Amino acid sequence: MKKLLAMLLALCMVLALTACGGQTATNPTPQPEDDQPADDGTVTISLWTYPIGDWTDETTVKSFIADFNAVHPEIKVNVEYLDYTNGDDKVNTAIEGGNAPDIIMEGPERLIANWGAKGLMLDLADMVPEGTYDGVLGSCTNANGAVYELPVCMTAHCMAINLEVFEEADALQYIDLESHTWTTEDFFQAVQAVYDAGYPYVGTVFCGGQGGDQGTRALVTNLYGGTYANPEHTAYTYASEENAQALAALCAQDGITFDPSIVASDEIQNFVNGTFQMAFCWNATQEVNNADALDFDVYPMAFPAEDGVPSLQGGIWGYGVFDNHDEARAEAAKTFIRYLTEDDAVYAKVVEATHFQPVRDVDGVYEGNELMAEYALMNPLMGDYYQITKGWTTARTEWWNMLQRVGASDGSVETILAELQAAQDAANAAAEAE
Amino acid sequence: MPSDTQVKRLSTGRLVLHENVAAYLFLLPFLIFFVGFVLYPMFLCVYTSLFDATMGREDIYIGLQNYQELFSDPVFWVALKNTAIIVLVSVPVTCAFSLWVASAISKMPVAATSAFRCIFYLPVVTGSVAVTMVWKWMFNNYYGIFNYLGQNTGLIDKPINWLGDPKYALGCIILILLTTSVGQPIVLYVSALDNVDRTLVEAAAVDGATPFQAFWKVKWPQMMPTTLYILVITTINSFQCFALIQLLTSGGPKNSTMTIMYYIYYNAFKLYRYGYGNAMGVILAIIIAILSAVQLRLGKEK
Repeated sequence: MKKLLAMLLALCMVLALTACGGQTATNPTPQPEDDQPADDGTVTISLWTYPIGDWTDETTVKSFIADFNAVHPEIKVNVEYLDYTNGDDKVNTAIEGGNAPDIIMEGPERLIANWGAKGLMLDLADMVPEGTYDGVLGSCTNANGAVYELPVCMTAHCMAINLEVFEEADALQYIDLESHTWTTEDFFQAVQAVYDAGYPYVGTVFCGGQGGDQGTRALVTNLYGGTYANPEHTAYTYASEENAQALAALCAQDGITFDPSIVASDEIQNFVNGTFQMAFCWNATQEVNNADALDFDVYPMAFPAEDGVPSLQGGIWGYGVFDNHDEARAEAAKTFIRYLTEDDAVYAKVVEATHFQPVRDVDGVYEGNELMAEYALMNPLMGDYYQITKGWTTARTEWWNMLQRVGASDGSVETILAELQAAQDAANAAAEAE
Repeated sequence: MPSDTQVKRLSTGRLVLHENVAAYLFLLPFLIFFVGFVLYPMFLCVYTSLFDATMGREDIYIGLQNYQELFSDPVFWVALKNTAIIVLVSVPVTCAFSLWVASAISKMPVAATSAFRCIFYLPVVTGSVAVTMVWKWMFNNYYGIFNYLGQNTGLIDKPINWLGDPKYALGCIILILLTTSVGQPIVLYVSALDNVDRTLVEAAAVDGATPFQAFWKVKWPQMMPTTLYILVITTINSFQCFALIQLLTSGGPKNSTMTIMYYIYYNAFKLYRYGYGNAMGVILAIIIAILSAVQLRLGKEK
C-alpha cells in the first residue's frame, strides 16, 4: 500500500510539473481584476513591449505615457518589458491564462503569422495613418486584409565589419565603400585576407538558437541567390542548390565557423569586444546600444551577393491589440496607439526612440543624424518580408537546428542539401497544418 | 431518558467528531493547494494528452495518437537516452560524492563542518540563472577559463567548444548538474552520520571490525532511509533537468543535450503542441514513478 502511495505521489508531482495548458484560448478571456473599468470611468490597459530600441527603457516609455495621460487622464497604461529569450513564453503563458496584454509591440512574424493567424488579435485596418508605405503595410496585413499590426518603424537588417581590422588586413579593397556592398567573391577574399592577417575568428555562423537568425538567413540566401520562402508566402524554399552551395562555401572558408554554443546576442558581444571581426546580426540599434563599449569603427555592410545587390531581410515593428473581449479596453488601447502614431510630431519621437526608420514620410526624424543616414542606405535593398509565411515558428527552429547539423557535417553539397531538405519538409508540413 | 453510558458514549462521539473536523480544517489549506496545483494539473495533463491541443482553436480529440507519434519520434528517443545518461551518471556520482564529502567533513571540528556545509550548499541557494551564466563564461569557446588553462598547461592544442561540440556538451551539463545537486545530500548525510548510534560503532570496533567494516555493516544500514530519500530526490531532479539546458544549449548541438523535460517545453511552448507535450509528460511521470517504486522497494529489502 505504501509503495502504491509513494508511486502515486511521485506521479502526481511529475505530472503537475509537466502539465501544459490547452483549450483556454477560444474561451472568452476573463478580465484581470486590475484592468476592470473603474467607477470613475478610468480604464487600465497593459502594454507589453519587446526590446525595440529605447522601448525597453522605462524612462523613455514612461515619458510617452505621461504625455499621453496629459491628454487622456482616463486611461492608465501599465508597461511590461519583455526580452527575446523568454518574451514569447511569457506572452503565450499569459494568453493561455486569459491574461493577454492589451497592446503588444513587436513584428509581423509574431503579430501576423502567429497570434494573428490564431485569431487572437484585433483588426487595426481603420487606424492606419495615411502615407504608410505600401510594402510595409502589406507585410502587416494577412491574406484576408486584416491589419494585425500597426507598423511604426522598420529597418533593413545588415551585417557589420571591424573597419580597422579590415584596413590592417588590406581587405577594404574588396568592399564598395560608397554603397556598403560587396560581391560573394569579394566577401570570401576579404574573409581570407583578415584570417591570414592573424584573426582566427573572422565571422561565426551562430546557431545556438533562433535569436537573431535573420542574420544567418540573409547570409546564406544572398551568397548564391537562394531564397527562403516563395513570393506567395505559402511554402518554404530554402532546400535549394544555391543555399547548399552557400553553406558549403561557408563551411570550407577559413575564418568562418559554425558555432552551436552561441546566439546572435553572443555574436554581437563577441564582435563588440573584438573577438569576431564581423557580425551577421546587426542594425543601427546595435551600434547605438553598444556605442560605449565599441573602441573601433563599425562599418555597416550589406550581405554579399553574386552581383553585389543583395535582398536584405527587413524588420518591421509596431503595435498590435489582443482581442480580450472587452470593448472599453480595446478602445482605450486603440486611443493610445492613435496618440502615438497619428500626430507627426509625436510619431517622430516614437520612431526616434526605436532607433529605426519611419514607415511613412515624416519631417524631423533623425535630422542631422549621420549614423542613421548611413544605415538608411540599406533601406532600398530591403527584400521580401517572408516572415509571415505560415509555419514560421517551426521554420525558424528547423533553420538553426539545420545549421548545427551542417556545421558538424562533412561540408559536402549533397549532405548539406539533404539537411536543408529535411528542415524544409518539416517547415512546410507545419505550414500546411496551420 | 438516556442512561449515563449513553451520555458518555455520545459526548465521546462528539469529541472524536470535533477532533476530526479540527484535523481536517488544519489540513484544508494544504488540501486545496494539493488539489489545485497537483491533482488537477495531473488530471489535465493526462486529459490533454488525448487531444491535438494548440493555441487559438478548439482541441481535437485524437485518442492515443500523441503516444503513437511519440514512440516513432527519433528526437524523443534521443531525449530519453540523454535523460537516462544524465540520471545514470549523476545519481550514483551525487550519492557517492556526497557520502564521501559528508564522511570527511563530519569528522572535522564543528566550525569546519559548518563551513564546508555552507560552501557545498552555496550553489543550491544561489539562483540557477546566475550559476549557469558563470559556467557559461567558464565554458566559453573564445575566452573561457577552461580553454585558457587547458592551452596554457598544454592539455589541449586548440580551444574546445565545450557547449557547442556534441562530444562534450552533455558531459558539461552533467558536471554543472552535479555541482548544484550535491549540496542537499551532503547536508543530509552529515546529519545522518551524526545520528548513527555511536555505541554500535564502538562495539563493532571492540569486536575487531575495521573502519570500512564498521561503516559498511553498522553505519550504512542506519543511513539507509536518508540514502533512499536522496536517491529518489536526485533521480527526480535529474529527470527534470531543464533550466541548464534552456540557458546553455537549447537541447543542441544536434540534440546532444536534448532531455525529455526540455523536449516537453520545446513542443508545448515553442511549437504550441500542448497535447504532444502532455503525452511526453505522462510518459516521463510513469518512468519516474516506476523508478521511484523500484528504489523504495530495494531500499526496503536492504
